[in-house]
Amino acid sequence: MITVNQLKKQYKDAVVLDVENLEIPSGQCFGLVGNNGAGKTTLFRIMLDLVRATSGKVTINGEDVAKTESWKAKVGAYLDEHMLLSYLTPDEYFESLRKIYGMSEADLRLHLEKFVELFNDEVLGKKKYIRDLSKGNLKKVGIAAALMGNPDVVFLDEPFENLDPSSQIRLKKLVLRETENSRRTFLISSHDLNHVTEICDRIVLLEKGKIIRDLREKEAMMSELEAYFTG
Amino acid sequence: MFFTLIRLQFLKSVRSTSFAKSLLMNLFMGFLALLLLSYVFAAGFLLKRIIEQLAEGQNPLEVLNSYLIYFFLAEFMYRYFIQKLPVVDLESLLHLPIGKKRIVHILLFRSFISPLSLIALLLFLPFSLEVVGGEYGWQGVITWLGSILLTSWTLHWFMLWFKQRFDDSMIGLISVMAVLLLGTGSSYMGWFNLGEIMKPVFDLALLSPLPFLAILAFSVGSYVLCFKFYVANAYLEDLTEEEDVRFVNQSIGFFSRFGLAGELANLEWKLIIRHKKSRTYLMLAGFFLLYGLIFYKNPQYATEEGSGLHWIFIFVGVFITGIFMLQYAQVFLSWNSSNFDFYISKKNGIESLIRGKYLLFIGTSFICFLASIPYAFFGLQFLLLHLCCFLFNIGVLMHVIIYFSLWKPKPMDLNKGAMFNYEGMGAAQWLMFIPMFIFPYAIYLPVFFLFNEVAGVIALGVIGLIGMVAFKPLSQVNINRVLNNRYEISSSFRQEL
Repeated sequence: MITVNQLKKQYKDAVVLDVENLEIPSGQCFGLVGNNGAGKTTLFRIMLDLVRATSGKVTINGEDVAKTESWKAKVGAYLDEHMLLSYLTPDEYFESLRKIYGMSEADLRLHLEKFVELFNDEVLGKKKYIRDLSKGNLKKVGIAAALMGNPDVVFLDEPFENLDPSSQIRLKKLVLRETENSRRTFLISSHDLNHVTEICDRIVLLEKGKIIRDLREKEAMMSELEAYFTG
Repeated sequence: MFFTLIRLQFLKSVRSTSFAKSLLMNLFMGFLALLLLSYVFAAGFLLKRIIEQLAEGQNPLEVLNSYLIYFFLAEFMYRYFIQKLPVVDLESLLHLPIGKKRIVHILLFRSFISPLSLIALLLFLPFSLEVVGGEYGWQGVITWLGSILLTSWTLHWFMLWFKQRFDDSMIGLISVMAVLLLGTGSSYMGWFNLGEIMKPVFDLALLSPLPFLAILAFSVGSYVLCFKFYVANAYLEDLTEEEDVRFVNQSIGFFSRFGLAGELANLEWKLIIRHKKSRTYLMLAGFFLLYGLIFYKNPQYATEEGSGLHWIFIFVGVFITGIFMLQYAQVFLSWNSSNFDFYISKKNGIESLIRGKYLLFIGTSFICFLASIPYAFFGLQFLLLHLCCFLFNIGVLMHVIIYFSLWKPKPMDLNKGAMFNYEGMGAAQWLMFIPMFIFPYAIYLPVFFLFNEVAGVIALGVIGLIGMVAFKPLSQVNINRVLNNRYEISSSFRQEL
């Protein structure tokens, strides 16, 4: 369960984020959409305690993210390549994460098996550093890393961007499977309305830092979003 | 076209995000360059007198000709370390409808506009007008000075090729060492005198244009070599082949005993091995081990009575046992600037990252200390000196340097070279040199005046030991500093400021 309360982010005079109240129950697949500069990434960064909120607070499972750290063990995230160790090979990176999360080698093998299809033989077992991977493969590594350690909550920023069409479909299947099987909460921001409406139970629309729509009806989502974005 | 490209270059440097921050630095570097060049020019004016002083009764021109080759050897060395490669700007131009050859010509030309190209001219112009002009007339001046200048410029092109070709590889380093050893060692050991062998060439240059023409041909040849190499390699891929060695699993098993911090120390070690900048620092630590050879047996620092520990040796000892840590810690967090969010988003990530770095520093310092033990051959006092400096380094200096480095850390691109690359260096990083010099002496000097130099050195060690006992609270100070500033650090590393 994630709650956001009276959250505000201000750079000098410009208010970039102003969320009065937002509650995301466990097991929900939460979609975040909005045009460039609407504050999607900023919201995620504040929720992950990467950026300081000007006022207000975010709690994950009852813990204030800015004050404690233990929630980090149960939250996985991939926002951008700053969250990867780009000087390692993907194998080494997963191995390091395995040790950080205290998983066994069998755990890691099981975990990576879920990604065999998504990786498409282009990620593991290659003598290539993460920094030399293509943008699509970089994203795949980040997503697989965010799901490690059996997290309750997973944040993904633009997960479909840069992926080829088959990988996009595979990723969708993966997310659906994960929400069904293990009651994971997903928070996904995306510009791809088709994908995000397909996998998410709920979609929130941001405009200039404010929540202007909170859609929960799966059938009505697409038409309402299309109406908004065509203006 | 040419001027458009030059203008783009100019705009690029003016508009880079770091320009305003590094403006002062650039001014300072420019001032320094100007100062050094004016020294060179002054030395050029005094060259005749200097030679007359050093080699009394001999013809200055003869003497100079027999030592010219050493000047070029020196030039080879400083060019190897200082000269920058012009390939960086290639990326944004390659896709445009400008011929590759043209781009390379422009890049090479631009690289030529540098203070380094002026040194030979400034140093030898006054001498050639004064001495050569008097004896051999205008033709002598032109061919003699021309030969020297062209040799210097041949080295410029050769070095562009050499550095790019053997960039960062063992072959390059070995060849440079070989040149150095052959050049200086050969006449010292009495095998052959390089100066005397090359002397006839420059003697001949006074009388006939032949050497001048030959060197001109060399110079053109080296430009063509350089040009062809750059054109053939004008692609975005790395010019040098990836070394597979770097993929070998170089984890240090010992660290894994320290839990998460040890794990992150292992990652940091990989980071060091896999980036050019940090590798250079590591190599420097190796070179600095030899630093003592210059000082310890130098008669200038020999003390008549007592233990034979000159006060300057403290400084040498601190450097020998801690140079890697001192340099690396200067930009303590900037090493992780491109993946700082990774550590923030892990539970206890930042704390373990810093503890891991501490582990690594202690480890490398300890290895440097072990490697410096053979100095005991010069006298047991050096063993004591190194032990105490080592203790002081990890007990006190380490915390101090890290504390200073956490004042507004700046992002840094690890894939750029290390020499004269001041990325990540802010005012704080420069000011840090002060405690590095002052702290050891602040403890050593009072005890030295009260008792003697051995007591002073032991005092350093004791203070270091106390610092080690207080490791937990001292390191916690730095950890808390990072934790409290984590938002600012992470946003500056994302370059949002």
